[in-house]
Amino acid sequence: MVTGDRLIQVQHVKKHYNHGAIKALDDVSVDINKGDVMVVIGPSGSGKSTLLRSLNLLEEPTEGSILFDGVDITQKYTVTPEGKKVKLDINIHRQKMGMVFQHFNLFPHKTILQNMTIAPIKVKGMDKAQAEEKARALLARVGLEDRADAYPIQLSGGQKQRIAIVRALMMEPEVMLFDEPTSALDPEMVGEVLEVMKELAASGMTMVVVTHEMGFAREVGNRVLFMADGRLLEEGPPQQIFGNPQNPRLQDFLSKVL
Amino acid sequence: MLSISGFQKAFEYIDLIKQGMICTLSLSALTVLFGFILALVLAICRLSNFKAAKFLATVYVEVIRATPLLVQLFIVYNILLAGISLPKFRLFGFIRFERFLPGVIALSLNSGAYLSEIIRSGIQSIDGGQTEAARSLGMTQWQNMQLIVLPQAIKNVLPAIANEFVTIIKESSICYTIGVQEIMYGVNSIKGATFSIGEPLIIAAVVYFCLTFPTSKIIAYFERRMSRGDRR
Repeated sequence: MVTGDRLIQVQHVKKHYNHGAIKALDDVSVDINKGDVMVVIGPSGSGKSTLLRSLNLLEEPTEGSILFDGVDITQKYTVTPEGKKVKLDINIHRQKMGMVFQHFNLFPHKTILQNMTIAPIKVKGMDKAQAEEKARALLARVGLEDRADAYPIQLSGGQKQRIAIVRALMMEPEVMLFDEPTSALDPEMVGEVLEVMKELAASGMTMVVVTHEMGFAREVGNRVLFMADGRLLEEGPPQQIFGNPQNPRLQDFLSKVL
Repeated sequence: MLSISGFQKAFEYIDLIKQGMICTLSLSALTVLFGFILALVLAICRLSNFKAAKFLATVYVEVIRATPLLVQLFIVYNILLAGISLPKFRLFGFIRFERFLPGVIALSLNSGAYLSEIIRSGIQSIDGGQTEAARSLGMTQWQNMQLIVLPQAIKNVLPAIANEFVTIIKESSICYTIGVQEIMYGVNSIKGATFSIGEPLIIAAVVYFCLTFPTSKIIAYFERRMSRGDRR
């Protein structure tokens, strides 16, 4: 699945608060290739979520650049292939990056079907009937076709998160970002969400997953990143990270979570 | 003192109250409309990152809230619109436009400030995750506001908005001081004709109640409809 084509390039990204007193991200660089399932692990407060949220600019880095499909999205302007300088529209890039949140963030005033179709219709200008057809197909894929007309409050946590995943898929993103997708779930619901994510990975979707699910990292990820104190301390395939960790912080972390 | 014959005499002039009712309703409806638009603009300005807009909207709201409506009405009527000669025609054949318009403006400017505070608190009550989800799907800031945040925000503050609408109907009575022919103006005219004030006042109170009570009921209905997503 991994093609070696670079999709996202994170270059020397720093995120500082209080004029540098707090370094949420401290000079992080990493390339994300098409087809990668990159799992980011680390203790809480290590900057994993900040890194993930920087990728679609929900957090704006203090320094450094993030290239998506070769375009530096941290800049206000970009240069077209014809050499023209145009204003960079972050919304266009965000459409290509689906995001799934810890707390689902479904829209409570919309039905499940509306949750899924509102962005394709309003942002992409997709035909309503076509969007609904697509939504129903995706709902069937995650086994929730009978909940199309329900409101989010009527769903369990696991169901909500599965809806959140397919809502993001409606935009046909090139990469899916997962921000601790199972951390707010009751234990018995974690499996159903991971199952959908595994299926997604198997379909070749590029994924960046911040998680505490080490089993998922080991089984599904092709790359694992270990972060602590805003720094990227170790990176490698799961066998290496879990089987032969080098960094003492990683060894310490793994001894606590495994 | 109130008397049956007093009411009978007052009812001979009931058309004045009917006209007053039409005028009060028009005045309130237009105030709600313009006040609400102004309130949305003010609320969004106050929550924006644009410092100048934020400052101006804040100053506006504070000034309006710290001065009496009567003073604002007189300022609009005697100063703001003093130099402008408004067209002198009559709405519905009796409402003098050149007095009606200043009333609408003053009430809208006033209620806009109060409503904006209500809407602002509504917007702030919405979890930031909603905006993040909307933006991550590629929605613009404005689409997020219009499709995701405002519908939820307004639903949350609907009782407070209903309260403000009812207040507008009641406070519109102050416009009789500049000669707008609303209900209290009718009361005064009946007093002039019958030499008794008690009966027309009672009638006015009943009419006001009949206007405000259904208003709050109608809004309560919409509140139930909009909270469909809250029920299991």
